[in-house]
Amino acid sequence: MMKVKDGDLDKLGLLYERYNRSLFSFFYRKTRQPQLSEDLVQSVFERMLKYRTTYSGTGAFTTWMFSIARNAHIDHYRKEKRRKEDEILDEERIEGENPSGYAELDERSRKRILLEQALDQLDDDKKDVVILSRFEGLRYQEIAEIQGVSESAVKVRMFRAMKELKDIVSTLSEEYTNE
Amino acid sequence: MSDKHKQLIADYLQGNLDEKGKKEVEELLAKGEVDFIDFRAMEQLHDELDLIQVPEPSSEMSRKFYTMLEEEKASAKVSIRGTIRDKFMELINEISMPRLAYAFILLIIGGFIGGQINSNDDEISELTSEMQSMREMMMVSMLEGPTTTDRLRAVNISAQLPSADEKAIRALLFTLNNDESINVRVQTIEALTRWGDNELVREGLVKSIMNQDSDIVIVTLADAVVELGVESSAGEFQRLIDEKDLTLTTKQKVESSIAVLL
Repeated sequence: MMKVKDGDLDKLGLLYERYNRSLFSFFYRKTRQPQLSEDLVQSVFERMLKYRTTYSGTGAFTTWMFSIARNAHIDHYRKEKRRKEDEILDEERIEGENPSGYAELDERSRKRILLEQALDQLDDDKKDVVILSRFEGLRYQEIAEIQGVSESAVKVRMFRAMKELKDIVSTLSEEYTNE
Repeated sequence: MSDKHKQLIADYLQGNLDEKGKKEVEELLAKGEVDFIDFRAMEQLHDELDLIQVPEPSSEMSRKFYTMLEEEKASAKVSIRGTIRDKFMELINEISMPRLAYAFILLIIGGFIGGQINSNDDEISELTSEMQSMREMMMVSMLEGPTTTDRLRAVNISAQLPSADEKAIRALLFTLNNDESINVRVQTIEALTRWGDNELVREGLVKSIMNQDSDIVIVTLADAVVELGVESSAGEFQRLIDEKDLTLTTKQKVESSIAVLL
């Protein structure tokens, strides 16, 4: 990234090749919308170019990158607040419904559906902690830098997120089995 | 449950705890301060999160990115050209006629003196060439040095060479394939990349792929051949994936490099 900052823009291509899937996964796990996730990946790299002079190179590159990613996601939903409200209504409606053919699915597929829906129901901060720590392999200290809180606050968030996930999975599982 | 215990469990889930930390968790479970069933359920759920699948992004995403990058590069060039042109025009506007005449006279005198010195050009170029071959000799001999520092210094000397002859390139390729230090091999790849137009370098980089075991070296090598556009390396990287037991991250990196190369 230091080379990109110094004007060697081709090096951004290397960063793209190295991190595009990681960023796509991050956004997909947050939104479960492939097209939106691709747009947000593009937005992150546009911002990297735009704000390249602010990159200090002191911390880990991934911390800087995911901070931009997090802001891109927040900005997207701020800009489309109306649409967001509609989506929340849609999500709430879907969350309450038994997914079609749930009873016929094998154990593994059922679990996957429950986990996806449970993750969707976490608030953004908790969801980010789970995604960044569990899937992207970031350390709690790095997540703390991204979220602008202390490392211990991130650990408590992780604990609460896992507990909430467990409770939501259990509730949904009961609902779907009884329906 | 106290925040301290919550933090401890979060650390346990991320695999951050040493033996002492793990023992502390076991004691909390044994005393019932942390509910055993809750804890096991959370641990199991943490493992099961792998079930959540992510699709592959479409090729359209890469196309859009590279279009954006090309546009940005073009606009950066235009802006540099504009700045140079503006500065030049500013300079011209500031120069008055007497100053311009004075500069013209200086130019003629400079040309005359330059002509006199020109006869020494051959000597200067001979000296430069001798300096380069001395640097090359020093580099080749230091590459065989016993310490990592010596060998790193040797690789750095190569950066001062404006061009490299076959002997220097072969010495660097030998280092890339045989040096025990990962740092030296990584630096060697970067040094060789400077002469990426040289066919010997390109072939050497491709041939060294199967010789590498270190993840860092493999990733650096992948970046180098992508940067140089050595398409013939895709086959060797595929062989590397097929025949060697790479870590998941390195494998993904190599796969994405192959995709770029093809």
